[in-house]
Amino acid sequence: MSGTQSHNPLVTSAAKVEASPLAHAFHQFARSRLALFGLALLLLIVCAAIFAPWLTPQNPYDLMQLDILDGMLPPGEASMSQGFIFRLGSDEQGRDIYSAILYGLRISLIVGVISALTAAIVGSVLGLLAAYVGGRTESTIMRLVDLQLSFPTILVALMILATLGKGITNVVLALVIVEWATFARAARGTALVETRREYVEAADCMGLPMRSILFRHLLPNCIPPLIVIVTVQIAKAISLEATLSFLGVGVPVTEPSLGLLIANGYQFMFAGKYWLSVFPGIALLATIASINLVGDRLRDVFNPRGA
Amino acid sequence: MIENRNIAMQGDDVAENVRKAFEMNRPPILSIRDLTVSFLNNETWTPVVRDISFDVGRKETVAVVGESGSGKSVTAMSVMRLLPAETSRVQGSIMLDGRSLTQMSDEEIRDIRGNEVAMIFQEASLNPVYTIGFQLVETLVRHRRMMRNAALAESVRLLEKVRIPAARTRLNDYPHQLSGGMRQRVAIAMALACQPKLLIADEPTTALDVTIQAQIIELIKHIQQEDDMSVLFITHDMGVVAEVSDRTVVMYKGDMIEAGPTEQIFHHSSRPYTRALLTSIPQLGSMTGKSEPEPFPVVDHTTGEVTPPDPADRSVVPAPDPMLRVSDLTVRFDIRGGLFGGVTGRVHAVEDVSFDLFRGETLSIVGESGCGKSTTARAIMGLVKPKSGQIRLDGGELGELSAEMKVAMRRKMQMVFQDPFASLNPRMVVGDAIAEPIARFTDLSARGVADRVAELLELVGLAPDMARRFPHQFSGGQRQRICIARALALNPQLIVADEAVSALDASVKAQVVNLLLDLQQRLGLAYLFISHDMAVVERISHRVAVMYLGEIVEIGPREAIFENPQHPYTRTLLSAVPVADPSRRHMNRGLDETEIKSPLRSVDYVPPRLPIREVAPGHFVRQVS
Repeated sequence: MSGTQSHNPLVTSAAKVEASPLAHAFHQFARSRLALFGLALLLLIVCAAIFAPWLTPQNPYDLMQLDILDGMLPPGEASMSQGFIFRLGSDEQGRDIYSAILYGLRISLIVGVISALTAAIVGSVLGLLAAYVGGRTESTIMRLVDLQLSFPTILVALMILATLGKGITNVVLALVIVEWATFARAARGTALVETRREYVEAADCMGLPMRSILFRHLLPNCIPPLIVIVTVQIAKAISLEATLSFLGVGVPVTEPSLGLLIANGYQFMFAGKYWLSVFPGIALLATIASINLVGDRLRDVFNPRGA
Repeated sequence: MIENRNIAMQGDDVAENVRKAFEMNRPPILSIRDLTVSFLNNETWTPVVRDISFDVGRKETVAVVGESGSGKSVTAMSVMRLLPAETSRVQGSIMLDGRSLTQMSDEEIRDIRGNEVAMIFQEASLNPVYTIGFQLVETLVRHRRMMRNAALAESVRLLEKVRIPAARTRLNDYPHQLSGGMRQRVAIAMALACQPKLLIADEPTTALDVTIQAQIIELIKHIQQEDDMSVLFITHDMGVVAEVSDRTVVMYKGDMIEAGPTEQIFHHSSRPYTRALLTSIPQLGSMTGKSEPEPFPVVDHTTGEVTPPDPADRSVVPAPDPMLRVSDLTVRFDIRGGLFGGVTGRVHAVEDVSFDLFRGETLSIVGESGCGKSTTARAIMGLVKPKSGQIRLDGGELGELSAEMKVAMRRKMQMVFQDPFASLNPRMVVGDAIAEPIARFTDLSARGVADRVAELLELVGLAPDMARRFPHQFSGGQRQRICIARALALNPQLIVADEAVSALDASVKAQVVNLLLDLQQRLGLAYLFISHDMAVVERISHRVAVMYLGEIVEIGPREAIFENPQHPYTRTLLSAVPVADPSRRHMNRGLDETEIKSPLRSVDYVPPRLPIREVAPGHFVRQVS
């Protein structure tokens, strides 16, 4: 029975993989219940952020919709003037905390994703270049990386924002400057291994230009570890942005992110107005935890670099 | 005198046969019956070894031979119970000295391992952070309950037994201070420490150079006679089988094809697969008296039908000027160390190498690891920078050309690498990999490029529709064909093949060699064929250069090098090649522990320039110092 099948095990197993590499990767991924839970939570959070205007009773950034009379209501109280219920309470200006969290999530996620992706692109290109070219280029890039990594990230980000001033763009810029080095180091490490493999030498022998060796040959083979780092760095960027906003150098007060919401409510913590800080805090925790769960699992799936 | 030796040998044989006959009456040490091993793969059990039955008698060597994926290693692992229980299932019976290994508890089997059955692997399994003395003493104390002092003395005795020179001083060495051959000797000493009844050797010589392989094989044969051990020898090399084994088990894709005395398998096998395996192994000396290269005969695996090699004329058309002329090529690598990273030594990888290569000709460079043959190839391809010397291609000196011209010039020569698994980009379909240089360096339309890719794939014996597949969907031999197709994409005149067939199974190796010869015939290619495999070199080359410690010690027509070697190193190399003739098995070649010398020298070393002598037209030999 197994005669025909087993006579060419290589072909059959290869055909199976070919059927759908993505489905195979997902199957691997889904073996961990915890990671699946993380992924579901992350999707929920992302959807909530994307569809925030349709899910919330109020636009927390529109001052016209805020009523000072609704200020400091505990969770579950109804609005005096607008007829909806403050599910998670309201702050001193009558801003619905539930709405503020969903809108704040948008800012946190956008800042996190854009900064991590930009840092990934800048860092990987420099890392690949360092590994492939070597020599002086490599030393220059890698000493810059060492310099960057030798300073505490929060300190560097604070300095940059203190010079440039507040604002979402500046926060993204600061985060990219802080994070590119991690990608450069990881990309160089992977690319060094790949550069020694014979397919790169074969491309050299054919006289292909550096651009196509870097981007067509090296980069696609360095992607899996970089994907893992991107997810972890998104979570890091979100928490760093929250920290910066909490310290008052991040996003502007009129468009609070999660960190700023926590900071705003912090002063009322001991006055019993727990909902101002705790609910945004839980949202931040859930976001970072879910991204990390997904990232950890991706690391497990990609690490035995099979086939 | 030779006759005397023959008579003595026959006498030995008689004694040997009497001894064997006596041993035959005792029950075998290892008895495997109906062994089936299955692996769990995607939630289904796939059998990888089916219904294997054979015995290993006392003081007998049994070789299990097969190509990669034949299940020979899995068989050995299941004897040692080294397969993971969750993902593998072993059915059938494995009896060691009358006790069933499959039904033992984990405790009992641990007691058997090392004490009664020992195993050595392809890479010597030594712990890198302990000295070899410590590891030997530890084993003796634990397994044989010896006192430390006694264990120390016994360690020295064991190292002497595996013919390690200056054994006592070697005890304090760490594994990385020893060469590969020495490490394998230490691993054998460790295996012998507990006086096992059965030694399982899983490809113990595959990672070693041919002269070292000959030493280790000889050593295992000697020790077996001294200690009356049984040996289960796993290998893919029919030459090694002929050298060591009393009986042979041939495996193919998980099935046992046949089992029997080695002589019978070699001379009277009725199974097509065994015959295919035997004809596909390069046999040194099969080309005696022929001056031109000749393809391997091809035997069909299922019918046993033999296709004789194509008798085309493969002589080189004489030309006044060589296509490639390498003169005084020298490559040295600095070894940096110390606090300020100064140069502490130099590897003299290639020293003063000169040769010519003509259109349509194959020049093979042979030698053992570290002799500089690969570095020579890489320097010619521009992958390493030579220290001095000239490389002229079609009359143009590569060092003097502008960068652009150099790239254009380099396209006339292409390289085929050793590892067919690493030399293709795993994330690019093979069609794209072949198309890439064509699209870049010619003005063909997309349609034209696709046609050329199809044409190239057909040229190397693959189907054009395979262009859409990824490298991992091909076997090793197919991948090497793809690499050849890619190298041919820009119509080069010279192919540098760096160990291009060394990683392939014997039958596939023969096919790829035949393909290379065929392509040479059709396209007029010149090959620079780098290999350590003397038997393949004998088939493929017009001329041969022997390298030793970075220098060419002998270069000349293939016939002259193989039939009339002049340099002592060439002779050593040729005599070390295992011969696929079991009747030579009882010949004692004598034990040798010469190591391959290292080309690492101090900074101020000036290499001696020994004169070169022309012993016959075109046959040059370097003088021995």
